[in-house]
Amino acid sequence: MLLKEFTSLFLKHTKPTRSHLTPELLLRLITADCPLWSAPANQSPFKDPFWGFYWPGGQAIARYILDSADSVNNCKILDVGCGCGAGALAAAKVNAKLVVANDIDLCALYATKLNADLNDLRVETSSVNLIGNDCNEFDAIFIGDMFYDEDFANLLFDWLIKLSKKKMVLIGDPGRHGLTDRRRNQMRLLAQYEMPKVTCKENNGFTHTTVWTLKT
Amino acid sequence: MARVLVGVKRVIDYAVKIRVKPDKSGVVTDGVKHSMNPFDEIAVEEAVRLKEKKIAKEVIAVSCGPAQAQETLRTALAMGADRAIHVEVSGPEYETMQPLHVAKILAKLSQDEKVDLVIVGKQAIDDDSNQTAQITAALLDWPQATFASKVEKTDAGLTVTREIDGGLEVIKTKIPAVISADLRLNEPRYATLPNIMKAKKKPMKKVAAKDLGVDLAPRIKIISVEDPPVRQAGAVVPDVDTLVSKLKEGGHI
Repeated sequence: MLLKEFTSLFLKHTKPTRSHLTPELLLRLITADCPLWSAPANQSPFKDPFWGFYWPGGQAIARYILDSADSVNNCKILDVGCGCGAGALAAAKVNAKLVVANDIDLCALYATKLNADLNDLRVETSSVNLIGNDCNEFDAIFIGDMFYDEDFANLLFDWLIKLSKKKMVLIGDPGRHGLTDRRRNQMRLLAQYEMPKVTCKENNGFTHTTVWTLKT
Repeated sequence: MARVLVGVKRVIDYAVKIRVKPDKSGVVTDGVKHSMNPFDEIAVEEAVRLKEKKIAKEVIAVSCGPAQAQETLRTALAMGADRAIHVEVSGPEYETMQPLHVAKILAKLSQDEKVDLVIVGKQAIDDDSNQTAQITAALLDWPQATFASKVEKTDAGLTVTREIDGGLEVIKTKIPAVISADLRLNEPRYATLPNIMKAKKKPMKKVAAKDLGVDLAPRIKIISVEDPPVRQAGAVVPDVDTLVSKLKEGGHI
């Protein structure tokens, strides 16, 4: 899908909202007021619009960053699997030196750019699969809500362990399957937030979301 | 906190008009809309609410059947189950599968997965057996709370309100236990797009019934499946007098 085509569909099917953990950021999302929210998946003009929702793990990281601006001051940030872009936007809002929003789905990068414009913020984007990369140019890595499946969580975690020796790794997650006790033992809890009601409705079974860093 | 196992069955959708196969061996399922057994939806909803109340730690959805059972499991995941187990049963074997087999599978998985609570619908709307919860409890030697219309956590275990003839019965049970969900237990939520999408990312494990050591040989043979008798057509009478005389003729008055 090209940016122009995406933009018109994006404007049609999303609504700007501040009903989430980071009301400082205005984000265009597929909200409960949008017909698509309750439509069957096969009626969506987008293939798997993961960027259309503000995932609880992403909300936790963005909230944490906005509350602890010092932690990213002068840092170069990489937001992996950026989705709607909120993590990257939060870092940009507290004046990180460089922010790159990364997602293998081009639509997520378009959505991130459009959401950045909405907030007068500037972020770079990259669609390269960076998992396994040494990410030398970055000081901090954000991983919002990516511990869903076991195989992917394994791959991700090994990589993050390596990265954590040299840089800050922030993991946002509401307690998904891949965040096992074994992995939690290698992590340190930084913050826990109660999810807003609308977020609970999009994430049946979850009520809280958390931010972790890796123990070094 | 408890780990909950929920059994879900894919059945012909409640709104579909059922047709009997010409050879009377069963009902027509090909090309017919299927969905999750409504009582199982209630079971999933209750398990997810237990998780939201922090009484349950994890909700595992299980379904037995051919590949299409995975659609039903995805619905359970979208409703809020954490992970799913698809017990593969091939088409021909599935046709003769009975509550005893399902109960043996659920009992084995309950032990393997170290669950504290099994919740199933009180019956499936296709065969109306109403046996799975009871047999599962018996096989595990766990207490059973069937036809539940309310489930509350108490210190020692659970307080369950049961729908019985002429009223309600309140029982206390320890856990582990098996619960079967009745109609009034809750109102299940719809699976919306954000949840359906998240469900795609949740883990689903496949396992064969024979790997669980369950023999699927049928214990009951279906002799014949018949349509209900067709209603006799009525007749229109011109006036009240004719109606009265007809009723007298028939010996009704």
